[in-house]
Amino acid sequence: MSAVDPQDKNPKIEQAGASDESIQQVHSILLREKPEPEESHSPMPLFLLGFISAMVLMVAIYFVHNSGGLSQSFSFKQAAMVYDERFDPKNAPAANAEVKLDPLVLGKKNYASVCAACHQPNGAGVPGVYPPLAKSDWANGSEELIIRILLHGLTGPIKVAGADFNSTMPTIGPGGYNFSDEKIAAVLTYIRQEWGNNAPAITTEKVTEIRTKTAVGRATAWTSAELEAIR
Amino acid sequence: MASVPNLVASFDPATSPDLVKRAELSEIDASTKIPALFFLGSAVLWLLVGTAFALISSFKLHTPNFLGDTEWLTFGRTRTAHLNAVIYGWSVNAAFAVAFWLMARLSRSVLRHSGLLMIAGAFWNIGVTIGIIGILAGDSTSIEWLEMPLYATPLLFVAYALIGAWALITFRFGKSGHIYVSQWYLLAALFWFPWLYSIAQIMLLFQPARGTVQALVNWWFAHNVLGLWFTPIGLAAVYYFLPKVLGKPIHSYYLSILGFWSLALFYNWAGVHHLIGGPVPAWVLSAGIAASFMMAIPVIVTGINHHMTMVGSFSALKYSPTLRFIVFGAVSYTLTSLIGSLMADRQVSEVVHFTHFTVAHAHQGMYAFFTMVMFGSIYYILPRILLKEWPSAMLISVHFWTVAVGITVYVVGLSICGIKQGLEMNNADIPFLSTTVPSVVTNTIPYLLSRSLSGVLMTIGHLAFAVNFTWMLLRPRAPQGTTPTLFQNPPEMEVAR
Amino acid sequence: MNRAPLIFLGIFFTLAFSWTGIILTNQLTYGKLEPIVDQTENKSYPEALPGLAAQGKLVYQDLGCIYCHSQQVRRPGFGADDKRGWGDRQSVPRDYIREGRVLLGTMRTGPDLRNIGARQASRDWHMLHLYNPQITSKGTIMAPFPFLFETHKIVGQPSPKAIKLPAPYTAASGYEVVPTPRAESLVAYLQSLKDTYAYPETHNVFVEPAAPTKAEGKK
Repeated sequence: MSAVDPQDKNPKIEQAGASDESIQQVHSILLREKPEPEESHSPMPLFLLGFISAMVLMVAIYFVHNSGGLSQSFSFKQAAMVYDERFDPKNAPAANAEVKLDPLVLGKKNYASVCAACHQPNGAGVPGVYPPLAKSDWANGSEELIIRILLHGLTGPIKVAGADFNSTMPTIGPGGYNFSDEKIAAVLTYIRQEWGNNAPAITTEKVTEIRTKTAVGRATAWTSAELEAIR
Repeated sequence: MASVPNLVASFDPATSPDLVKRAELSEIDASTKIPALFFLGSAVLWLLVGTAFALISSFKLHTPNFLGDTEWLTFGRTRTAHLNAVIYGWSVNAAFAVAFWLMARLSRSVLRHSGLLMIAGAFWNIGVTIGIIGILAGDSTSIEWLEMPLYATPLLFVAYALIGAWALITFRFGKSGHIYVSQWYLLAALFWFPWLYSIAQIMLLFQPARGTVQALVNWWFAHNVLGLWFTPIGLAAVYYFLPKVLGKPIHSYYLSILGFWSLALFYNWAGVHHLIGGPVPAWVLSAGIAASFMMAIPVIVTGINHHMTMVGSFSALKYSPTLRFIVFGAVSYTLTSLIGSLMADRQVSEVVHFTHFTVAHAHQGMYAFFTMVMFGSIYYILPRILLKEWPSAMLISVHFWTVAVGITVYVVGLSICGIKQGLEMNNADIPFLSTTVPSVVTNTIPYLLSRSLSGVLMTIGHLAFAVNFTWMLLRPRAPQGTTPTLFQNPPEMEVAR
Repeated sequence: MNRAPLIFLGIFFTLAFSWTGIILTNQLTYGKLEPIVDQTENKSYPEALPGLAAQGKLVYQDLGCIYCHSQQVRRPGFGADDKRGWGDRQSVPRDYIREGRVLLGTMRTGPDLRNIGARQASRDWHMLHLYNPQITSKGTIMAPFPFLFETHKIVGQPSPKAIKLPAPYTAASGYEVVPTPRAESLVAYLQSLKDTYAYPETHNVFVEPAAPTKAEGKK
C-alpha cells in the first residue's frame, strides 16, 4: 500500500488491494457490520453549565479553607512545613507548649502503647509466657517492688498468681523505654485501678525516691529472689 | 446483527462506496492479524497467571498458613506478582492490541511494520516475565506499581519505544481528516504512559528523591497509570464499540471534547489523594482532593454521552456479547469514578484509607471497568481478524455471568468490609486483634472469605474465556456466510435464515 | 490531522502542569530538608539506621511487608492512631529524609509500624511473632515466616540465640530453632522504628481559637 495524501477523500483512487476480486471476498462478518462510528452534534445540556460553575465554586472554597497555611501565607516554602490542613498561622501554638494530662488517661495511653503487647489489653498476660496484671498479687502488692521492676526490668523465674513464668521484661525507665517518673507513676496507677484491681495509686515522688535510691550500682534487671528480699 | 439488504447487495459486482469502505476495513483488519493475535494471546495467558496468583493471595489472607512454609509464595510476594501480572501482563497486552487495532481502523490505514510490533511485544513480555520471577525471588522494589526489579525494566523501555515509534508512523499515514474522539484518547494514552513510567523510574530508583517527595512521585505515577493510560484506552474502546455495535452516532461531539479535556486537566492532579493524612504538605493534598472532586465533571459528561447514545437500544444487550461487556464496563466506570471522588473527601478518607475498601475500589476500576471493556473489545475484534466466529455462545454466557456476578460480590463485599474495618479502626475501644471479643481484624474475615468465593467465580469465567479463545484459534476457517455468536438471535436473524 | 498538533500540545501541557505542581514545587520547597541537631542531646535527628537494621530493611522490602503494614502516623483527632499507641504525633516528612526508600504503605491489614520499635522493643517477641504469628497474636491473619529460621539438631550446647517457643509450638526434643541472619537483621530494623523527636514543624498544628471572655464577647 503506498502513501496517500490524507486529504484525498476519493475512495476509488489508490484503494490498492480493493480490487473487484477482493471486494467479492469481503467476508460476511465485515458486511454485517454497522458503519464506522460518528459523532452527532447535540448541544450540551444547559444544566451542565450550572453544575460546572457550582463545582468550581465549591472546590475553590474547599481549597482555601484547607490549604494548610498556603492561602494565608502564599509561600510554598512555608506551606511545605505544614501537615495539618486546618493550620492557621495566626493561631499557632507556642513552640513548647506542654499539656497537663490526667494521670489515668496518661497511664492508659502508655499502657496501650508499651505494656499491652505482652501483658495484653485486658491485663491477662499470655499463659506460660507473660504474667497477668489483672487480679495479680504482684501488681496489687508492694509499690517498692513494682516500681523497681519498671525502672530496671525483671528476669528469671517468678511466680505470679500461682503460676510460673520465666521470661525477661525490658527496662521501662531510663536506659530502656525512657519513661519519666511521671509516666511510670501514671501507668502503674492505671494498672492498679483497672480490670478489677483496687490498689492505692502511685505518686511521681515515690518513683523519683526509689530511682535515686537505686541509681548507684544497679545496671542489670532484677530477679524475683532479689525483690523478695526487699519485700 | 446481520443486515439482510447488505448481504444481498454484496453479490452485486458494481462497487458502491460503502462496499469499498468495508473492503478497506477488511484489508486493515487482515494487516493487524498477526500482531493482534500475539498481544491478545499473551494477554490471555497473563490473565490466567494473574488469576492464579490472585486466588493464592486471597486464600492466604483468611487462611494464613495456606502454603505458608514456601518462601517464594509468601503473601507479600504473591500479591505483588498478581498485581504486576494483571497490570503489566494482561491489561497492558490487551490495551496494546485493542489500541492499535482501533488506531488502524480509525485512521483507516493498513498496519505497517507489524514486525516492529512483534519485536516490541516480545521484549515487553520477556521483561514482565523476568520481572515477576524477580519479585517471587525476593527482588521486589516495594514501590507500589513499580515493583519489577531494575534488571527487567529496561526491556519494557525498549518495547515501548518501538510501540511509540510505530504509533507515530501509523497516525502519520492515516487518511481520515476528522480525528474521532477515540483517537484523542489513544494518542493521549500512548504519549502519557512512557513519561509517567520514566519519571517514576528516575525519581524513585535511579536518583531517588529525598524523603516523602518519593511518595508524591509514587502516587502521581501509580494513579496516573490508571487515569491517563488505562482509562483513556478503556474509554476509547467504549466510544468506538458502543456506536459501532448499535449503528448509532455518539450523542454529542461537544460532550466528547469537554469530557476529554476535563479528564486530562483534573485526573493528573488527583493522585495524591492516596496520601491523605500522610507526611506530605497539607496544601498539595487539598489540591489533589480538589482535583478528585472536579473529576465528577468529565465522568458525568462522559456518562451522559454514553447513556444518551444507548437510550432506546437497551434491548440490544440481550443479544450482543460485545455490547454487554462494554456497557457493564462503561457503567462501572461512572460508578467507580464517582465513588473515587467521594473517597477523596478527608472525612471519608479518614474511614476508608488503609482498608479493604481501597482494594474493592481498585478492582472496580481495573476489572469492572477496564477488564470488562477489554473482554467486550476482544469479542468484537477476534472474529474480524480470524474471519471465524466464536465457537460457543454458552461459554461466552458462562464467562459473562461468572465474572459479572463475581466482581459484583467482590466489590460489594470488600466495600462493606472496608467501611466496617475503618470505623472500627478509628475506635480505640475496639481491639485491633482479639479472639475473645470482636476485633478489627477478625471482623474482616467473613468478607475476605466472600472475596475468595468471588475469585473462584471469576476464575471459572476466565477459564471459559480462555477455552473459547483457544478453540476459536484452532477451529478451521469458516466458509462465506457465517452468523455471529450471540447470546440470543435477534428477530431479523430468524428472518434471514 | 490539522487538529493533531493542538491535541498534542494540550496533552503535553496537562502532564507538565501536574508534574510541576505536585512534584517540582515540593522538590524545591522541602526536597532538601536536613536533619536537626539537638544541642542538649548532642545528636542529630532523625538518626541513621544502624548497619544491621539497614540490612533488615531490605528483608522487609523483599518479603513485601508494606502490603499489610503502613509506616505513617496520622495526627491526633484524625483516625485513632494516637489512641492505639501507634504514635504520639503525626509523622512528618523530616522523619523520612534519611531513608533511601520510603515505605509509607497504604494498607493496615496489620497495625502501623512507624513506632513499633518504641512500643515493642523485645527481640524475643519479634522472633516469636515472625516464626509463627499465632504464638504472640492468636487469631491473626499475618503470614508465618518459618523460612527465616533454621531448625536443627542441638550439637553440644544449645545456641544462646535459639528462640524460646512455648507449648504447643516447641521444637522436637533435641532440636532448636535459631534465627537466620535475615531474621536478626529484620528484627533489628523493626526495633529501630521510632519517631520520637519533636521537630519544630510538629508544632504547626491547628489550635481551636480561644473562646472570648465575658468582657470581650459582647459587641
